[in-house]
Amino acid sequence: MPERALPLRVVDGFTLPEAIRAALRPDEVVKDDDGREVRLPRYFYEVPSWARAQEVLLAPHFGLWEFVNTDVREAEALRGWPRYVPCAVTLLAAHLEVLRDKVGAFLRVAANGGYRSPAHALDAGRVSPHHWGTAANIVRTGDAWMDDEKAIETVREAARDVLPGVWTRPFGEAPGTTFDHLHLDLGYVVLVPPGADDAPTDTDGDA
Amino acid sequence: MLKRPIEEAAREAGAEAVAVGLYDYEGGTSWDLHGDRPFHAASTMKAAVLVGLADAIERGRFAWEDRLHVRNRFFSAADGRPFRVDPRNDADEEVQAQVGRTMPLRTLAEHMIRTSSNLATNLLLDLVGVGAVRETLTRHGVEGVEVVRGVDDERAFDAGLSNTATANGLVRLFRLVEDGDLKAETREAIRDVLLGQAFRSGIPAGLPAKARKEARFAHKTGEISTVQHDAGLVYLPDRAPYALAILTEWDADQTDGRRDLVAEISELVYHHLTDA
Repeated sequence: MPERALPLRVVDGFTLPEAIRAALRPDEVVKDDDGREVRLPRYFYEVPSWARAQEVLLAPHFGLWEFVNTDVREAEALRGWPRYVPCAVTLLAAHLEVLRDKVGAFLRVAANGGYRSPAHALDAGRVSPHHWGTAANIVRTGDAWMDDEKAIETVREAARDVLPGVWTRPFGEAPGTTFDHLHLDLGYVVLVPPGADDAPTDTDGDA
Repeated sequence: MLKRPIEEAAREAGAEAVAVGLYDYEGGTSWDLHGDRPFHAASTMKAAVLVGLADAIERGRFAWEDRLHVRNRFFSAADGRPFRVDPRNDADEEVQAQVGRTMPLRTLAEHMIRTSSNLATNLLLDLVGVGAVRETLTRHGVEGVEVVRGVDDERAFDAGLSNTATANGLVRLFRLVEDGDLKAETREAIRDVLLGQAFRSGIPAGLPAKARKEARFAHKTGEISTVQHDAGLVYLPDRAPYALAILTEWDADQTDGRRDLVAEISELVYHHLTDA
């Protein structure tokens, strides 16, 4: 069995209860805004409780809780515990760690601004990289709120400098822009952890 | 009996318009002065948002302890473009400080009423929906309270879209809270939030000190540059409550005496109802 430091169970979305599966839509092919077909994640980390989400670090300065903190508009089946977050969220945390080092201050991910399911009412049926766990909405860096052009463009520039493959939304009010956070994403990345296969589940690391 | 002293008080204070609605549960009597005249609702509309939220919870859409993302971005009722609540216009800093986090619906409702948080109001109205709030009011027969948009939506204001209320409409709204056809637990939840009102300069200020100390007030004030309102339920010991709405309109340049007039009218009503 491959070793992982992350003390979370990896689950195959196909094995989850129907209500949860209906919200996560594992491995389903969907079309993004540009009409491209993309495949939703199939493998998820199981987060047993809010307490565990607060304990587990995905990167030295990013707790799991920041990426699973959704609100009442999330599908009801995903508002309780355990919750499920796509395995690629670890890649997002690693990228944010690099950005944090560049900025020299903590980054705060907004509620609903990490992973949210395709059933989250905020997206109204549209495809978003947040459904892959590979996008983050940053509302604050250190003491600075991301609520004006200068603040957003400063961090955006830092992201482009150290993470050239990452996509960010520019400041603005029009569709595709943001004015109250910095949106950063890696695209539609699916991560299949070593050891994850078509077998029902991997219970390795479940504390 | 109340008409003349209220009109005299309003004239002396310099108000451009005044309206009063009253329902006394002690005798089951109603009275109003210009009760169907619409005013800019100002923050009294937050009581309607609270009722809309509670109704949505009663119908199973949400739960009081559900959490909502605190985000200062809304869409104008005028043109659909985004706008923000100006923190300088918001009496409540606590909700502003939670931007990016989540707060329970009950806590947001408390901020919306207790300290009249504009941000909490828009968050809750955005969640419940203007249409749903209006449908709730219609279904429960609350005519005279028109909710068409959130707070601080300047483009909607410029386009002539404003929330309005009549004194009789607000009395109907508070009567719904007291004994309307919502479930008892829903009405109790609404009343608990309204009883937490922190601003005491309106209806409560009109009662004599001893009565004010013994009374409870489930109410919502409203104030913008041209209006000063208060509306709610007054619970006195040893008698049934009364629902009272006092709406006043002013020249924007006249800033003195507004709260005093609302308190004076409250005092007149109190004495009218309690002096044997």
